[in-house]
Amino acid sequence: MTELKETLKQLISLPGLSGYESPAREVIRAAWEPLVDEISVSPIGSLHALRRGTGPEPRPSILLAAHMDAIGLMVTGIQEGLLRFTEVGGVDPRILPGLRVTVHGRRDLPGLVVQPPDYLLEPAQRGKSVGMDHLFIDTGLEEDEVNELVRIGDLASFAQEPMELSGKTIVGHSLDNRISVAAITYCLQELQHMVHSWDVWAVATAQEEETLGGGFTSPFEINPTVAVAIDVTFAKGPGANDWRTVGLSKGPTLAWGPNAHPYIHKKFLDVAEQLEIPYQKEYVPRHSGTDAYAMQVVAEGFPTMVIGIPLRYMHTPVEMIALKDMERAGRLLAETIVRLEVDFMDKITWDEVKDEE
Amino acid sequence: MKSLIKKLVETVGPSGYESRIREVVRAEVEKYADEISVDAMGNLIVKKGEKKEGGLKVMLSAHIDEIGVMVTHVDKNGFARFTTIGGVRPHTCYGSRVRFLNGTVGVIGGEMLENANHVHAIEAMYIDVGATSVEDCPVKIGDVAAFDRPFEDLGNRLVSKAMDDRVCAAVLIETLKNVKNSPHELYFVFSTQEEVGLRGATSAAYSIDPDLGIASDVTMTGDTPRGIKMDVALGKGPAIKVKDGGMLADPKVVDAMVQCAQKHEIPYQLEVLLGGTTDAKAMQISRAGMPAGCVSVPTRYVHTPSEMVDINDLNNAVKLLTAFISETIKLE
Repeated sequence: MTELKETLKQLISLPGLSGYESPAREVIRAAWEPLVDEISVSPIGSLHALRRGTGPEPRPSILLAAHMDAIGLMVTGIQEGLLRFTEVGGVDPRILPGLRVTVHGRRDLPGLVVQPPDYLLEPAQRGKSVGMDHLFIDTGLEEDEVNELVRIGDLASFAQEPMELSGKTIVGHSLDNRISVAAITYCLQELQHMVHSWDVWAVATAQEEETLGGGFTSPFEINPTVAVAIDVTFAKGPGANDWRTVGLSKGPTLAWGPNAHPYIHKKFLDVAEQLEIPYQKEYVPRHSGTDAYAMQVVAEGFPTMVIGIPLRYMHTPVEMIALKDMERAGRLLAETIVRLEVDFMDKITWDEVKDEE
Repeated sequence: MKSLIKKLVETVGPSGYESRIREVVRAEVEKYADEISVDAMGNLIVKKGEKKEGGLKVMLSAHIDEIGVMVTHVDKNGFARFTTIGGVRPHTCYGSRVRFLNGTVGVIGGEMLENANHVHAIEAMYIDVGATSVEDCPVKIGDVAAFDRPFEDLGNRLVSKAMDDRVCAAVLIETLKNVKNSPHELYFVFSTQEEVGLRGATSAAYSIDPDLGIASDVTMTGDTPRGIKMDVALGKGPAIKVKDGGMLADPKVVDAMVQCAQKHEIPYQLEVLLGGTTDAKAMQISRAGMPAGCVSVPTRYVHTPSEMVDINDLNNAVKLLTAFISETIKLE
C-alpha cells in the first residue's frame, strides 16, 4: 500500500495532458507490468493490459477503464514575452491567477499565471474574476528567449506538488482520474492471490477530458464482455451538498442510470453488501461524464457500469481524495471479478431490475 | 487553381444534397484515380497507389457539403419560412440571397423588429422568391438552398460563399494530381455532411480503416480589426492543427507535418482553434482509433456568404500535403 501511495504521488506529479499522455503512461506501464500477462498501447495512446483468467476459452472478459489524461493549459499566442493560453479539458479560470505551472516548451520552464491589475481593466470587468482570455503565463524570461523556447500549441501543466493531509486524504492535480488508475492497480494486486475465471483488461484511457477518445476506441479493439469505467465523482464540500454529491471517505459510488447496466450494477452492489465494503449509490440520470458513456455504444454495444471515487474541488490543482475510497474501490473490483462465473452473462435478463432504495 | 475554386464554390450542395458538387469533383479527379467509388453516405472516395514498404494506408478528407437553409413552411402569400442546415448564424442571413437546387433564387427578409439594433432570429425571417401565393411559389417544404454570392478574385485574396470547405477540396484535387511515387496507399475522400456532425467522414473512416487520418478544412484567423485572439493570419501559410474545439491533433502527426514543412521550406502556422472541429475528429476515434491531424486553410468570415482565403496559402497547402504523403511518415 505504501508503494501504491508512492506510485500515486508520482503519477500526480507528472503532466500527461489529454493527447500527450506518455509521461503518465510509462509510470502506469511500470506499475502494471508485473501484474499482467500482456501489455500494449492503442493507436491513440491508451494503455491496454491483459491479465488472463482461468476459465475455458473463449473466456469472457471485463474491461476496467480509468482515464490517465490530465487537464491543463495550452499556449495560443506569445505577446511581448507573455504567453496567452487556452484550456485542455475544462479548467475553472477563477483558480488560475497566481498559480504555478510548468511550460513544456523546447525545455520545461517554470511559470506563473498572472492577471492584469484590476484598475487597468475595462469598467465592466473590474472587481470580478478575470476570464482566461485576459490571463497570461509569465516565465520571467526575456522576450527573445521566450520566442526561442516556446511555440503555439505547447502545453503548460499544473506544478502543484502532492500533499498528504491529515485524515488520510491526498491533495494534488490530476487526481481526476489517476486515483482511479490507482484503484485498478490495487485491484490487480488483489487478483495476484485470487482465482478469477474471466480475463481482466486494465485500460488507462487517453483523451477522456476532451473527446472520451479512449472510451470510444479501446473497446473496439478489446471487444470485452462487460466494460466498467472508474472515474471520480463530486464529493460534498463547501457549497456542494445536494443530491448530486456524495460523502468523501464514505466509500466508492455505484452509478444508477442509463450508462449503468442494471444487472452489472446489482452484481457490484451484492458483492459490496456481502463483504460489507462501504459504498454509496449515485444517481446519474444523464451522460455520466465518464468513458462509460462512450464505451456503451462502441461497435455492437457493451453492458457498462460506472464506479465513482468521491473527490472534492474537481478540475482544480487541489483536488482532494480519501485513500480509503480508492482502496475500497479496488477491493470491490477484485472481489466482484472473482465472483463472475463463466456463465454470468447467460444469467443476465433484460427484465427490469428495481433500484432497491 | 482559381478557376477550379470558382467552379467548386459556385456549385450548390448543402449537407445531404451533395450530388451535384460530387459530380463536379468526380470529373476533376477521374483521370488521376486508380479506383473511384461513392459510398452509402455519398462520400466520393478516390484510391491512389498501393502500400509499399514503409508505407501507410492514409485517408485524406475534405468535405464537399456547405451550410444552407431548408424551407419549413410556405405561407398563403408565398413567403417561405426556413431552418438552417449546419452552422448558419442569424446575423449573416438578413438581406442575403439563396439559390435552391431547382435554380430558384430568393432573398432573405425579416419581420419588423421592435428594436432596430437587434438581430432577427431565424424564426423571424423568411425567403422571398417573388411568389404571391402558395400555388405560384416555386419552392415547397423540405426544399434546400445554399447562400448565393458570386466568386470574387481580389488578386491574392479570393472571396466567395462555400470556401468552407471547397477550397480544401481543391487542395486535395491538386494534391492528387501532383503526387507521384508515394509509398502509401492513399484514399482521397470528398466527404459529405461534415457541417451537420462529421457524418460522411465517420463512415468513410470506418470502411477505409486507415493507419493515419488527415483532414483538410478551413480555420479562423485573428488578423482582422478587433477580431478573435488567434495567432493565425491569412497569407502566412497553411495552418497545422494542434487543437480545435473538438479534438487534439495527434502530437506525432503535428511534429511530422512541422518537420516536413521545415524540410521543404514551406511556410506554415500552428493552429489552436477554440471552436469548431473537422473530419479529423471523426477519423481519430474511428474503430480502435488512429493518429489524426489536419492541414487548415486560414479563412476570414467563416460561415458567412463571403469567406475570404489567400491563394498563396492554398498553393502552400498543396505543397505541404503533396510533400507529406510522398515520403515515408515517421510517427514517433
